[in-house]
Amino acid sequence: MDELLEQFLVEGRDLVEQASEDLLALERVPGDAARIDSAFRAVHTLKGSVGLFDFAPMAATLHAAEDVMGALRDGRLHADRDLVGAMMQCISAVDGWLEGIARSGGLPPGADDEARRLRGAMHAFAGAPEEKNPARGVEAEWLPALLATDRQAFAAAAATGRALIAVRYTPDPACFFRGDDPLALLRAVPDLVIVHIAPRDPWPASGLDPFACNLVIGFVSFAARDDLRRIFQLVVDQVAMAEIGVSREVVPREVVSREGVSPGAASGGPPAEPEHGALTHTLRIDASRIDALADLVGELIVAKNRLAHLVGQTMHAAPALGRALGANQVEIERLVADLHRGVMAARMVTLTQMFGRLNRLVRDTAGRLGKDVHFETSGAATEADKSVVDGLYEPLLHVLRNAMDHGVEQAAARAASGKARAGRITLDAARARDRIVITVTDDGAGMDPARLRETARRRGLMAEARLDALDDAALLDLVFTPGFSTASAVTEVSGRGVGLDAVRRSIEAMGGRVTIASTPGAGTTVRLAVPQAVTVTTVIMVRIGDERFGVPLEIVAETVRIARDQIRAVGDGVAFVLRERTIPLVRLADLLDSPASARDVRREAPDLRALGRDAPRPDAKVLVIEAGEQRTGIEVDGLAERIDVVIRPLEGLLAGARGLLGTALLGDGSVLMVVNLPELIAWMPHCNIGA
Amino acid sequence: MAVRLDRNIVHLSGPSRVEDAEDLLALLQGDRARSVDATASGDLHTAVVQILLAVRPPLAGPCGDPFVERWLRPALHRA
Repeated sequence: MDELLEQFLVEGRDLVEQASEDLLALERVPGDAARIDSAFRAVHTLKGSVGLFDFAPMAATLHAAEDVMGALRDGRLHADRDLVGAMMQCISAVDGWLEGIARSGGLPPGADDEARRLRGAMHAFAGAPEEKNPARGVEAEWLPALLATDRQAFAAAAATGRALIAVRYTPDPACFFRGDDPLALLRAVPDLVIVHIAPRDPWPASGLDPFACNLVIGFVSFAARDDLRRIFQLVVDQVAMAEIGVSREVVPREVVSREGVSPGAASGGPPAEPEHGALTHTLRIDASRIDALADLVGELIVAKNRLAHLVGQTMHAAPALGRALGANQVEIERLVADLHRGVMAARMVTLTQMFGRLNRLVRDTAGRLGKDVHFETSGAATEADKSVVDGLYEPLLHVLRNAMDHGVEQAAARAASGKARAGRITLDAARARDRIVITVTDDGAGMDPARLRETARRRGLMAEARLDALDDAALLDLVFTPGFSTASAVTEVSGRGVGLDAVRRSIEAMGGRVTIASTPGAGTTVRLAVPQAVTVTTVIMVRIGDERFGVPLEIVAETVRIARDQIRAVGDGVAFVLRERTIPLVRLADLLDSPASARDVRREAPDLRALGRDAPRPDAKVLVIEAGEQRTGIEVDGLAERIDVVIRPLEGLLAGARGLLGTALLGDGSVLMVVNLPELIAWMPHCNIGA
Repeated sequence: MAVRLDRNIVHLSGPSRVEDAEDLLALLQGDRARSVDATASGDLHTAVVQILLAVRPPLAGPCGDPFVERWLRPALHRA
């Protein structure tokens, strides 16, 4: 994508975020002059920037929005709820268009109609647009083409942050007779950035008149508008000017908040605004460059693990050399770890932008559902790896939609049960060691475990007996089961096909967990906990027969040895008791359908008791893993060391293989399959949920 | 300005005026194979530049007008 457009997208998102933040604040304090001013500037700058590209509907919408904001600023309009709502719709639309442009390079289909509708709404507030100086702002249709003649020069100039002005000078054809020399005027313009000169009409094949000026001169410069006016004062009717609104006023929050603050510093108050000159301390770096660095560090970690392997071998062959190498390896290990931390810190972004977007979507959705919802966020300054933040967006969106659609009741129903008419949804983020925990709480109807059980029974999600044995927490957890939905009707908002099971799937794919708590009549809380960064994962190596597999350590609650006689048949499976809790036990070999699974624990357990006099069989080595509210014991043949690996997504033949998270390259060059135990368990019919 | 033809090269030298455009055009139209050497030219008049833009003769060496050389060379060379 062209550099200028990329820059526009980055700034556009910042400005959208700024504008919506201001508008939300205005909704609470309608007369807040600072907010009005800030929102006006954001919209104005956006309008200016969009004028550089050929996105006319967007430009026109922003123009109309700017008129409204201008009227607000001048006190001609009052920021009432309707007006703020209409402005929010504009900003939401712009946000959507920016995303469309990011995806496809152009405005999404339907933008025209939407823009027309929004413009109408804006005009309803600010009155029909008056005729503007055609040389200004978005009306300058010639501007994109001029800038396109030298995008590189323009991007470099725009990056300085100084104001730029573009001029289109169409000398009168008879100007030579009057003694004009248009180029002489151009020579007087200071600080030129782009000059483009072209015929006004195509050159005639013959009969070129040397004394008729057939030129259009376009240029971009850092010159002040007044200087230009002076230079062109005698030909002012032949000149159009456009100020170029690429603004560097708004520094992306993630850059600002990182300044002088250690990565992952405590969340809390909003990031401080930069003082003058703060820009010199920050760099805006294309995320792909950081990604490339992160990939290299990933390779380095693999190489480092390989070194550890070599040191081990050398220790046997030549102990003295091995020790020296070992000391060196420790040093390298430390440096690699530091480097890894450094690169990861550079990828850290705050949740501010995502929260802002969710905020708009909640408003939008609430409006469509006809529900009044107070939405509050906290902890937006919490930082996480960019990929984590990106990965959280869809799941959170879904959880929030669900809260609005199925959680918060209609105002009448709320009033009838003695609640405030407006529902309340809070979105909170906080850091807990190396995880970020995001909590979505609503004060809606909550969920009734008995009803959940009934629904599960009706849908045949599991055997009656097992269903009866589920406790309340496990019943709530059912909402994450594929095919489960508590709403009696599939609504437009929550949609069909994507359920909370998709939320759990995506969060677990990130190495995170989703849990739910609900009190009937009082509301529901969904909690997402994900690692702050996903790039390097600690896995515990396990063995089945001669095969090794990796299990991400983060899902392993503990590893235990269970004496064979403690393993008992329960229902059609087996289980053991750990600290007074019955935990179902399955063999990893069975889950993986491995050849080593010829023996079956179900038969084995009773056999063992019968053969008690035989030489005691070794204790079962068990990983206790947590998936949702559920604990499950996974028996393996052997447990080996924990190592840090970079998990690579499955590719080629393995792509889409279920039950595998990915592969990791080990120090000895072999490939480790990293298994997705929650998925394997969810899949296994006889140990589905509950024991 | 002096507009002078030497073999097949039109030499432009010194500062130019609007009238030079007519001479330049005539020389260039006389033989389409002629090229232009403006290395010794002073500041070019817009009318002269317009002829160069319209006819696009091959240009020998850098233009003696630094402004034209810096800002218009790509336009004069663009096919």
